[in-house]
Formats: sequence, structure tokens, C-alpha cells
Amino acid sequence: MEKLAVISPAGVQVVEQKTLAPRLPDLAGKTVAEIWNGVFKGDETFPVVREMFRRHFPRTKIVPYTEFPFFPGDDRPHAQHEVARQIAALAKEKGCDAIISGNGA
Amino acid sequence: MRPAVEAEKLGIPSVVITTSGFTTLARILAKSTGIDNLRIAEYPGPMGIDNSAEMKAKLEQRVFDAVVKGLTEPENTVPTRLGSRNPADIVFTGSFAQVNDFFNDQEWGDGLPLFAPTRERVEEFLAYTDRKPNEEIGILPASNLRAVPLNIAANAIMAGCRPEHMPLLIAATEALADEKCNLYNIGSTSAIVPFLIVNGPIVRDLGIEFAGQLISRGPNPAIGRAIGLIVKNIAGFRPGKNYMGTFGYPFAFALAEDESTTPWETFHVEQGFDRNTSTVTVGVTNNWGPTSEPSSTKDMTAAEVALELLCREIPKKFRVYDFPTIGPKAETVMVTLVISPPIAKLLADAGYSKRDIRQHVYQHARMSLREFTWITEHTFPRGMTVRQKAEAGVLPKEYLGAPDDMVRVLKSPDIVHIVVCGDPNRNRLMSFEGGHTVPTTKEIKLPRDWKERLANKARSTETA
Repeated sequence: MEKLAVISPAGVQVVEQKTLAPRLPDLAGKTVAEIWNGVFKGDETFPVVREMFRRHFPRTKIVPYTEFPFFPGDDRPHAQHEVARQIAALAKEKGCDAIISGNGA
Repeated sequence: MRPAVEAEKLGIPSVVITTSGFTTLARILAKSTGIDNLRIAEYPGPMGIDNSAEMKAKLEQRVFDAVVKGLTEPENTVPTRLGSRNPADIVFTGSFAQVNDFFNDQEWGDGLPLFAPTRERVEEFLAYTDRKPNEEIGILPASNLRAVPLNIAANAIMAGCRPEHMPLLIAATEALADEKCNLYNIGSTSAIVPFLIVNGPIVRDLGIEFAGQLISRGPNPAIGRAIGLIVKNIAGFRPGKNYMGTFGYPFAFALAEDESTTPWETFHVEQGFDRNTSTVTVGVTNNWGPTSEPSSTKDMTAAEVALELLCREIPKKFRVYDFPTIGPKAETVMVTLVISPPIAKLLADAGYSKRDIRQHVYQHARMSLREFTWITEHTFPRGMTVRQKAEAGVLPKEYLGAPDDMVRVLKSPDIVHIVVCGDPNRNRLMSFEGGHTVPTTKEIKLPRDWKERLANKARSTETA
């Protein structure tokens, strides 16, 4: 039987992977940002998560999603990347120690 | 997901709340931008159908703990390093059946038998381009993987293409890599299918079908299949992971315009190319059909009926008016009208240019505000009512009207594209629409001795 030696049809990886940011040892006294992408009912889910933080981590400050851009807009990759970069920078500017982003992908 | 990735790069720990179907997608997207171990808190099941009490219970019992762990548990893994894989490397050796099993195990197939991309066969394809085998053709979103002639040839072979299709497929891959094409979002659960429009002399050079049953005849199916495989394998869209069409996908397809009969400027001339330049355009659609059959009546000419049918059909296409309701910089949608030659002639004889047709459907494709409001507020709700969006300037002021007012559903006449093709003896037309993409046209650059190669091939075929 004929043996066929074949090459791969797959694309070639080009993006270097980075290490995650260090995790927080404790959430007490920290500031956590809510970042909503405007879909999948984040306006209903974030208040629930916020209430859970209030109950379990009363010393954690939550910056609600309404303090960040949350309406989905221009869907081109470059524009989406730029908005994401601006949101992350805004979180840093607001003194946020961590981010919860949702919902969906 | 994207803000979380950017936050990680700024040293801010993050966690992403996904729903079950989107977890792998989030991981793949994060990896494509350099974070391959994104922290996830997964909400079980489709959130959209849960009521408030169900959501609260799932968030409390299943999500919150993962959020806390995602932000506090130390990272123990190291990021994966780029490999040194050469696209020319042999990755498997075996029989035809074994090669197919191997490719399917790697998720490189599409469910049908695949031709084997052996080096010898790949060389035949590379002979039809002046590009170097490892030369970068583009970086394809969303996984940001590099396309080179070698892997384009491999996919073309697997699909059943011929070597002389390479210049067309290279140009199509360039279009896929173009930000304007926005391949990034093609994995939507709504199932977005890419398709090609081929124009110029290459249509006749390659015998690409533009008349009756065109997507199912000649080289069109293999070329369409190759684009589907390129999206899957080079761009890295994996069914069920980041290629998430809820019910799957029809095969990608290829159209060519009937340039000999169209009464208007051809599609590629409209895009700014010379009529004698060969081009390929990548577009997308969420559906196929139905094909209407305009007929004249005592009251209306067939041209009037054709336009009326389009205006009645377009409001049934949810994607068309779903996208413009999303935000101030509304997401993109494209509408393609495929018109058979007799209908095109009819419309042209009645004085309609392509621009006139676009303007007509933009103005007259309408639905009641009541219907628009009900559908957009009950499917994929986004926190604002139609009225609130209109008051905020997201939607035009006409959406502030009374429930029975008929509102326009198209964002702009510019999103409507017209291609003349199909059976020259049938009075049929069809419209299809797709999200996120603007049709992206690239010139097909032919190798220096293109005509001679084709002639030699034709002679050798005759001899055989």
C-alpha cells in the first residue's frame, strides 16, 4: 500500500505568551473593577456578584461597571483592542487591584 | 475577555466570567493575544434563558468562588514557548485512510475525505506562485496564526483544488487577514459562513462557474471548500471551541460574476479595480436563500416586483437589524443581492443602477416599530430598550415613533452589495446577510508565465 508523507495545513504560531500578573494574597482592602462587555445580562449578574463581595469581603471596594465604557461598539479587532487597552488603563488609573470581566467570551 | 488580557499585561490580576459554551473561546482568544492561562469563572449553561432567581443561585453557588480563586490563587504554570515548527515538515506518514484519520484527529478536516498534501503535490501548487514557500501572506485572526504558501497549498490540496488555483487562494487568504474582513468574529454562534466572489479574466482562465448552479459546479465547490479549510486550519477556528455555529455550517462557497451579461459595473470595478484585473472578494453570510421569482402582473412590472420582493425579504433577516441596534458605533453587517441576468437586465432597462437599487432597498425595506421592538428586546437583550437607544442617539430618531410606524431596517445603503450571476434563463434573485464583515477585495497576482503555464497544462491534458 502506498505510504503518503504529508505536511501540516495548520497556521504557524507567532504570538509569544506572557506570564499572568501576580495574584492577590487577600481581597480585603483591595479595589476590584467590574468590566461589562454590554451583553449576556451583565447588568443583572454584576449586582449579584457585588452583593456577594459585600457579604464575604466587606472590606473590598467594588468599582461598578457603570464607571467604565460598557456598550459594545466598533467590532473591528484593532478598535476592540484599543478599547480594551483604554479600559485596563482606566482601571489602573482608578487604583483597581483586580478586574472581573464578563459576560461570555 | 479583552480588557482582562490587557489588565494582566499591566500587572492587574483578572478573571473572566464566561458561560459554558464560551470558555474555550475565551481561552483561545486570550492565547492569541499572549495570555494562555486566562483565569475563568464559568457560569453553567446559557445565561440568556435563566430567570433572575436561577441566575442568582448559579452565581452564588458556582461562579463567585471561582471569581475569588481566579484573583487570589497563585499561578503555578509557565507560559508555553513558541515552537520551531517548519510548515514544510512532514507531520505524518501513512496510507490514504490513515492520513485522513490523523488529520481528523487533529481537527484538520471537515467531515469529508481529504486529499493528501504530500511534498510532491505541494510543489506542484507552489509552482503557480512567485511567492516563497515560507513567505508570510498574512496573520489570520482570531488565533493570530501565520499563513504561508505552504500551508495554503496544503489546505487547497486537501479540498481537491488544482495547482492553478493557488494565486486565487493566496489572494483570498490576504483578504481573510485584512482587518476590514474582520475574521476575528466569524466564530459567532449565529454561524457565519465565508464565501468568495471572483471577478476578472481569471474566471474564464480557471473555468470558474458564473451561470446556472454555479456554486455546485466546476471548480467552485473545491475552491469554496479550500477557503473553509483555510479558515479552520490556518486561522485556527475549531468547531465547538471557537467556531461555534449552534447548528453547524454549510460549506463555504464560491461565486463568480457573469461579466458578459451584467448591465452594470462589475463588482470589482465598483471596488476600484480595473475590469481586466482579476480579483477575489471575501464576504460572509448567515444563510442561503430563499430564491424569489419575480413575475410581472397586471398592476406591476417584473422590475417593480423584484424590488418589492427584496424589500419584503430583507426585514425577515434578523442579523440585518440586530447589528445596528448594538451600539453607537454599530457593528458591521453586509447584505448581498445575487441577481440572475434576466432580472438584472430588467432592472437596468427600467432605469435602475446598482446605486439606485441600494438606495431603494435602504428606503423601503421596513418593518413596524412594534415588531422591531419586540424582536430586538426579546432576543439577546442588551440592557436598553429601543426607545432608550433612540433617545441616546444609538438608533435614528424615527425609532421614537408610534408602534405602527414603519421603520427602516438597514443601517445604510452602503452595506448592500450586488452580484449578477446564476442561470441566464431564470428570473430569480436572492439576498443573504452576514455579520461583522465588510466585503474585502484583493487583486489576484498571477505568476509571470501564467498564460504559458495554463496553455502547457491544457496541452498535456489533451496529450494524456
